[in-house]
Amino acid sequence: MKQWPLVLLGFVVIAAWPLLTSDVFLQRLGALVLLSAISASAWNLLGGYAGQVSVGHSVYFGAGAYASLVCFTHFGWPPIAGAPVGMLVSMLIAAVVGTPTFRLRGHYFSMATIAAAELARILAANVPLLGAAVGLMGPPVPRSAWDLSFISPIPYHYLFLAVLTLLLALTWQMQRSKMGFYLAAIRGGDRAARSLGVPVLRYKLYALLLSAAFTSLAGSLYAVMIGFVDPDSGLGILISVKMVIVAALGGAGTLFGPLVGAIILIPLEETTNAMFGGSGTGVTFIIYGAIIVLIARFRPGGVADLWHSLITRGRRGAARGA
Amino acid sequence: MLLEARDLTKVFGGFRAVGGASLDVAEGEIVGLIGPNGAGKSTFFNCLAGDNPPTTGTIRFRGQDVTKATPEAHARAGMARTFQVPVTFEDMSVAENVMVGAFLRHGHRAAARRVAEEVLAFTGLDHLADTRAGSLGTPGRKRLEIARALATEPVMLLLDEALAGLTPAEVRLAIELVRRIQQRGITIVIVEHIMEVILSLAERAVVFHQGRVIAEGAPRDVVDNPEVVAAYLGHHMKRVRRG
Ligand SMILES: Nc1ncnc2c1ncn2[C@@H]1O[C@H](COP(=O)(O)OP(=O)(O)OP(=O)(O)O)[C@@H](O)[C@H]1O
Ligand SMILES: [Mg+2]
Repeated sequence: MKQWPLVLLGFVVIAAWPLLTSDVFLQRLGALVLLSAISASAWNLLGGYAGQVSVGHSVYFGAGAYASLVCFTHFGWPPIAGAPVGMLVSMLIAAVVGTPTFRLRGHYFSMATIAAAELARILAANVPLLGAAVGLMGPPVPRSAWDLSFISPIPYHYLFLAVLTLLLALTWQMQRSKMGFYLAAIRGGDRAARSLGVPVLRYKLYALLLSAAFTSLAGSLYAVMIGFVDPDSGLGILISVKMVIVAALGGAGTLFGPLVGAIILIPLEETTNAMFGGSGTGVTFIIYGAIIVLIARFRPGGVADLWHSLITRGRRGAARGA
Repeated sequence: MLLEARDLTKVFGGFRAVGGASLDVAEGEIVGLIGPNGAGKSTFFNCLAGDNPPTTGTIRFRGQDVTKATPEAHARAGMARTFQVPVTFEDMSVAENVMVGAFLRHGHRAAARRVAEEVLAFTGLDHLADTRAGSLGTPGRKRLEIARALATEPVMLLLDEALAGLTPAEVRLAIELVRRIQQRGITIVIVEHIMEVILSLAERAVVFHQGRVIAEGAPRDVVDNPEVVAAYLGHHMKRVRRG
């Protein structure tokens, strides 16, 4: 990769971000961008690299968020201690949901994932243990440092940055390994992949398990920071759609695409929310819809594709100039 | 026998695309499969490769019953194939396409890369290694499919019209490539419409017509078989015999 200096620069800017401003809105924005980048990068393992477009990843996000707050509410654990529980539960759900749905192709697969996620949302809204329609709260005041309950967004920023860095390092390794090639082959076409000995179902499942575990971790981190989850904020379809849009906007199936997508989309969303009040309002839907149309119409490869064609054009221009 | 296919039938709905066809292939052979359009050649191939298991009949490969085995199991057992309509991984480079095949027997990236480089050189694709597969034309794709299949280090290679759509010069290059593949000890079954290819490559030709084998033997004899001529409506064959 010739873009390492740029990656390093980006990392330094992101790491320094909350120290460059004293505006809490901007500091919080940084943490939210990173959190969204984590969930979209997790989605990207399956939706981007393996080309299996799940629109039901809210299940895993919700499992993580609920696991954290269930462990707090019922056992008095620090919410972050629920994260491994959520990851395990998510992988279990993934194994159960993935095995039958992976036999479906294209839109049918996406639709089945939506159905499974909506089922989970309705279930959660009716189970008292999960707080039913009211939801669950985190610790109102921190009992110890382990509750990770801070007023300043800065600690969350660094926690999320650490998780994102780990996830991207893992993804980078995966992308270069046999698994990365096999997932790309599956995205290119099941039939050809199988003829070359790729066990398609098995590798789709590996990608889903990894993807579900990290999406769940993102959900736990969300619950730790926000200290609240209910069926809509933990399991709403908008959560799944947002992962798809963030990843597709930046470039699905690329290492940094989801991060770039989050850097573009989250500030836009937070600004309009601040302007029009509330979150998940009509304006959010309009922005999402517009982005879907723009990507589908002009750049199916997202910003990564635009960037790629810009640098190749730049190089060609430079060659011509020389 | 390396491959023994007995009385295969394949029924789609009520339509018998293959109706009781058998084929034996010995190790090291090149067998040509010919027949008019819609004769069932590709369907028969897909049965052999596990892509679409036969409705009835049995297939043994290297002594194992593989009738119902999956395509990936066939690949692992040493049977590789190309598709009539090439299905390369468009977004990947030529070298990466070949590496996917190489990963079957080499888990590590460096080893897979080495195998891919060797195969690319062997198939004359080395100068295209970093080209995106999606930007290749049909001849390039067909060659890439062969390279990808070879990277799985097969015992047997099934080629479904791997030479169709090539210019005469490209056909000569491809014939030469198939010969070199055979010299590596790989058994080949090749479906081909171009009679020149079968005549110059195959030691044995099997003629399909309406899902059945209607003739089998040395390619020279087979093309003179009246039943075969009738199957082709005379047209194609006359031209070949004159040539
Ligand atoms: N999946 C399918 N469903 C229904 N019918 C099929 C299917 N696949 C093939 N057929 C039919 O089976 C018959 C044999 O097709 P096949 O592709 O095997 O012929 P072929 O000998 O390979 O012909 P060609 O030389 O044109 O490639 C054709 O009539 C075709 O329409
Ligand atoms: Mg055919």
